[in-house]
Amino acid sequence: MSEILSKGKTSLRWRLGPLWSLVSLLLLVYLVTLANSFMGDSVQVQLQFALVNLIIVIALQMFIGTSGVLSFGHIAFVAVGAWTVGLLTIEPDLKRSLLSDMFPFLFDVQAPWLVAVFIGGIVGGLLALIVSPFLMRLNGLQAGIATFALLGVVTQVLTYWSSIGPRSGQSMVGIPDVLNLQTTMFFALGAIVIAWLFQRTRPARLLRAAREDGIAAAASGINVVSQRIIAFTISGVVAGVAGGLFALTNRVLQASQLGIELTFITLAMLVLGGMLSLSGAVIGALVFSVIDVGLVQLQSGVDIGSLVISIPQGVRPIILGLILVGFLIFRPRGLTGGREIVWPFRSQRTALPGLPPNNE
Amino acid sequence: MPTHEIGLQVEDLCVSYGGIPAVRGVNLEVKAGEAIGLIGPNGAGKSSTLLGIMGATSRTGTVRVNGLDVSGLPPEKVVRQGVALVPEGRHIFSELSVLNNLKLGLVGRREKTGIPEAFAEVFTLFPILEEFQARKAGLLSGGQQQQLAIGRSLMANPDIILLDEPSLGLSPTAVDTVFEALDVVRKAGKAVLIVEQRAEFTIAFSDKTFVLHDGLITLTLGPSDANNVDVLTKAYFG
Amino acid sequence: MNQFIQSLVDAISGGAILGLAALSIGLVFGVIRLANFAQGEIITAAAYTLIFTWQFGWFISIPLSIIVAVALSLLMEFSVFSRMRTATPATLLIASFGLSFLLQRVYELIFSNTVQTAPVGSALAQSIDIGGVRIQMLSVVTIILAGALLYGLTLFLSKSSLGLQLQAAAADFQTARLIGISASRVIGLSFALSGVLAAAVAFVSTVQTGAVGPSFGVPIVILALVGAVIGGIDKLSGALAGGFLVGFATSMLASWLPQDFSNFRDAYVFGLVILVLLFRPSGLLIRGRGVART
Repeated sequence: MSEILSKGKTSLRWRLGPLWSLVSLLLLVYLVTLANSFMGDSVQVQLQFALVNLIIVIALQMFIGTSGVLSFGHIAFVAVGAWTVGLLTIEPDLKRSLLSDMFPFLFDVQAPWLVAVFIGGIVGGLLALIVSPFLMRLNGLQAGIATFALLGVVTQVLTYWSSIGPRSGQSMVGIPDVLNLQTTMFFALGAIVIAWLFQRTRPARLLRAAREDGIAAAASGINVVSQRIIAFTISGVVAGVAGGLFALTNRVLQASQLGIELTFITLAMLVLGGMLSLSGAVIGALVFSVIDVGLVQLQSGVDIGSLVISIPQGVRPIILGLILVGFLIFRPRGLTGGREIVWPFRSQRTALPGLPPNNE
Repeated sequence: MPTHEIGLQVEDLCVSYGGIPAVRGVNLEVKAGEAIGLIGPNGAGKSSTLLGIMGATSRTGTVRVNGLDVSGLPPEKVVRQGVALVPEGRHIFSELSVLNNLKLGLVGRREKTGIPEAFAEVFTLFPILEEFQARKAGLLSGGQQQQLAIGRSLMANPDIILLDEPSLGLSPTAVDTVFEALDVVRKAGKAVLIVEQRAEFTIAFSDKTFVLHDGLITLTLGPSDANNVDVLTKAYFG
Repeated sequence: MNQFIQSLVDAISGGAILGLAALSIGLVFGVIRLANFAQGEIITAAAYTLIFTWQFGWFISIPLSIIVAVALSLLMEFSVFSRMRTATPATLLIASFGLSFLLQRVYELIFSNTVQTAPVGSALAQSIDIGGVRIQMLSVVTIILAGALLYGLTLFLSKSSLGLQLQAAAADFQTARLIGISASRVIGLSFALSGVLAAAVAFVSTVQTGAVGPSFGVPIVILALVGAVIGGIDKLSGALAGGFLVGFATSMLASWLPQDFSNFRDAYVFGLVILVLLFRPSGLLIRGRGVART
């Protein structure tokens, strides 16, 4: 009798565990946002950027964490999403005067910002879909290089093709101020839910199986490339949405902001948190942002009692870089070690099935 | 140079891969001028034993080479104590010439003298290597590559030679050549440990043969057991 | 016709330099599976050295830049990469990415963001007349320098014991150790040689531009890395060829693209890279199945 009862408990725990990891992540983001809304304006702005980065990291995790394939190019989708929103939300007259070399139809095309963001997501997803049949055949280092080349192409095109944006050296300005912290948070929460749901779909499960043992997966008839295409496209949509939000947060766009440096920062967040789990993506992004905000504060000087502690300008990115490299050396599986948040529902399945690829 | 007992002593060697034990406490000894065989079914832990001796995998237990405890040393240092391994599948450097492969064997050599003699000895044992010395090693046949692998290890003038399945994939003639050479090596005073799948041959050749089963030595056989079918069946099927 | 010859010489020179850079990446990759994105920062360090010490004479400045490059290279191995022996190539790439980012910010901190200039090798920045064609002297010197370095490297690799050991380790690391080749010595050697090549690349690039900033080496390493991979980063000849191809193509495109398209030169090169990777993921020079060991 007690056996049956305890078995029942285990299965309840087993079901609640994953749900709890979702709820706990949503709560986490909500609480962090809430706490920060009591702080000064500058912190709020930084938090908004942090939430946008969080969505990017989630998109990254959806692909890299599931398939085990490295993508250095996701910021390309962020960039096209941002570009789309920029073009759709800047006043036509402003476009005509500042972005004068553009295709004429781009002057008049407009959309409400919310719609623009979703269109940005679709554009990001479309780009991902178009390139994925080619790129998804590649593994490891080649995938990293090829996706990096993709980013290179997109960055160059956005920088120099003045028919779809500003002339090189100039920025896209005039994006309206319509996005507040709370709405950004809801987008972040939405991204978490989407990622959580995606984890449970068949493509994701198949990809995780293939990640562990590609040969066995192929022998079982799994078409890895097709599954990767699905994951890549969906994560491209999420990245595109994040790009749109970036545009609305920054309100000024230049291709150089959406390139290697952003790639590095988002990858660093993912590595810090642990790239194999959604919790890792969220925690990594939040912890990194908190540290970053802290460092910014330190830069302008912090009072502790009668002491003023400050760090010189330029040390902040060095510290961030050291953290990334440090984690890669000493704890490559990140803060979460690839596990999801399950306490207090400790189930046997503490992680989604899957060991890290190769020798980690 | 002070005299140690030439030979290999392995005590309680354990090797595991990520929690899965492959070798679970192996004890054996190989003396100078002796050839010891190590046979057993697939997965018994034969290769792991050799790799463990060389320090190429993490292991526990004691390994003594010429009296010296080499237990914590990495492979490149173990080699310099006087052990050479001829790996399973030969692993010669296919893009390099036969001669260069042999030259690389010199890296592990303890003395800096006697090098021309070393080449002479190897070429006497394996004349084909002298004939093909300028050829890319990858172009050699399986048997010739095996000869090259053994020759390479001999260049280091080791006291102890470990061989992992030297007859693998070789024609009967090639196997004969190889084991004739090993006999010469044994008679020259080296300690030879041969891991093999071919039971009868090894048992007949070696002074003593251990049977490895599931990570442990279960049986010790002598050359007279070579034709004893019952003993062999027991050895392989427990 | 003259213009064609000029552009051809420039392209060969551009290919030579990028080939050397790609080779420097391939040398290290062959042994420990690290595609070192931070190689760019080694180039930058050598370049800064040249800029700041050129006033003391080339016979001090150039050797010093080589020493700095080799020292930084070994430092990277000692402090970061030696602790990541069990990491996957992808992880190592990310780590080198992080290291690159880190070092660039350090350079920013020390040298500030503004470019530093010095008339390095100004004697070479002139055109000479060969058979009626005006050719950049620097291009000729680059080709000769690259040729000499390649020759020296080939000699070293095939004739010296250490060189053979390096080849062996690159081919089969485990077996190399099992026959007594010291892992740390061979790895250190590959980093050191890589540093020497980086110094050569830095020299030519510095003479070309005369100005060095914190991210001086980044565009070079991007193209070099990309070139090495499409040539087949597994083999030294592959990395060299791939780097040469990318450098050659970039230079030719720069010379011949009509004005409107010239800005997109890099985009075309990247596009080319993607194309090559699609059809030959293991690299152009790998024959047959050859799944690259990544």
